Amino acid sequence: MTLSDETMNLSFVRKVEQLSGSSVRRCFQCGKCSAGCPMRTFMEHPPNRIVRLLQLGQYERVLAGRSIWYCASCETCSTRCPNKVDLAAIMDALRKLSWDAQGPSKESYVQLANRLFIENIRTYGRQYEMRLAAVFNMKSGQFLKDFLLGPKLITKGKLKMFHQKNRNMAEVEKIFSRIEEMRRKGEAP
Amino acid sequence: MTPTSNLLAYSYYPGCSLHASGKEYDVSTKGLFRALRIGLQEVPDWLCCGATPAHNVDELLSLALCAKNLSLAEQVEGDLAVSCAACFSRLKTTQHRLTDNETKRRQVEKAIDGPVPLGKPVKHLLEILAEDYGLDRLRDAVQKPLTGLKVACYYGCLLTRPPEVPQLDCVEAPTIMERVIGAAGAETVNWSHRMECCGANFTLSRPGVVLKLSNEILASAKRAGAECIIVACPLCHGNLDIRQQEIEEASGTRYGMPVFYVTQLLALAAGVSSTRLALDSMIVDPKPLLKEKNLL
Repeated sequence: MTLSDETMNLSFVRKVEQLSGSSVRRCFQCGKCSAGCPMRTFMEHPPNRIVRLLQLGQYERVLAGRSIWYCASCETCSTRCPNKVDLAAIMDALRKLSWDAQGPSKESYVQLANRLFIENIRTYGRQYEMRLAAVFNMKSGQFLKDFLLGPKLITKGKLKMFHQKNRNMAEVEKIFSRIEEMRRKGEAP
Repeated sequence: MTPTSNLLAYSYYPGCSLHASGKEYDVSTKGLFRALRIGLQEVPDWLCCGATPAHNVDELLSLALCAKNLSLAEQVEGDLAVSCAACFSRLKTTQHRLTDNETKRRQVEKAIDGPVPLGKPVKHLLEILAEDYGLDRLRDAVQKPLTGLKVACYYGCLLTRPPEVPQLDCVEAPTIMERVIGAAGAETVNWSHRMECCGANFTLSRPGVVLKLSNEILASAKRAGAECIIVACPLCHGNLDIRQQEIEEASGTRYGMPVFYVTQLLALAAGVSSTRLALDSMIVDPKPLLKEKNLL
């Protein structure tokens, strides 16, 4: 493939830079991010290649497949980058752009779990692990996942059957709706 | 100096896990602080910090939730003590981002409809023990030294990374856990995987990831001759303790490696009764090891 204005989407790169607050262009491909990445064996593109593909405007290749969904946010890449490219923040930005553009895919299970986690905050103000696991299994069609673990955790007192009331619940809902309102008005990314 | 000026007191943000799957951490943090006569008062009606999922999906929401918690923490006097490595990381990240970035700060202020107080120091309990309380005093407070117990200190990701956020210790070669547990008399082992990721929140969506990464951590600790692992994060604990049997089945290796919260062993050493450390909630039974070392 030849690189040209038609095959390179540089406005996408600018969006990534804006959302992540990190430069993509500063990367000079030393590969330290990939050398230290604990998740690289699960990815088809190692982290340094993700950045290279972004620099070349190849966003479809970045968003296709599983790589961005297998970043664990361990921050090793951002810690070790000699050019202060915040790759962990870039991964957050890529996941958001992918979800907004394409919705869920079979690779993005983790984002489904993340969204349920956030739903829990909006409903209860805090995490409610039992509901999180139950709803995730239902929505991802893995009804028997960790089937034996649940009862074990309950007998150990590690899963709460009921959530606690929180006096700041109304305030939580307001935070969510204010952010939605700001986005509607274009005041927040 | 009057005796009262010697007393340390903190506001306390336990976080969601410490009220559920990581309750051992909450119980033992409180027990330890009581034994050391360090004041700890929970922030009333604190909210979830958003942890990793919130920033994975929506950075502004993540910052706003932590900002709200920082504002709630103003109701209680004293620096904010945090046990959970993830809550600690998110609260510190919020302080860091909003101090540096005025646009973001204004967005967050609008989201929580009020100013974001950024002045209260957020401290991990390891920092409180090593620096505010001090290792010499900790050594003096030990009633039951952990002599002969070989411990692998596991840091995981968020206690130290990225360095400009937690500012807890050296980012690639921290020693704060070794120093603290060493002060209680334990022997710490040198090992390779103390800062590697355990698989974190993939435990819900892709447990296979955890089985692989946490297996490497357990194998490394065992190779180094550790008899147990200590952690400071409820997610790391869940992956190494709750999933250990599954890891053993998948890898065909028997570990039987008890995984303690750092505060459980410190509290035991400081004379807190073993019945008040939630040892029964741990999946890998630590009692045979503690009995062997005459700690029970």
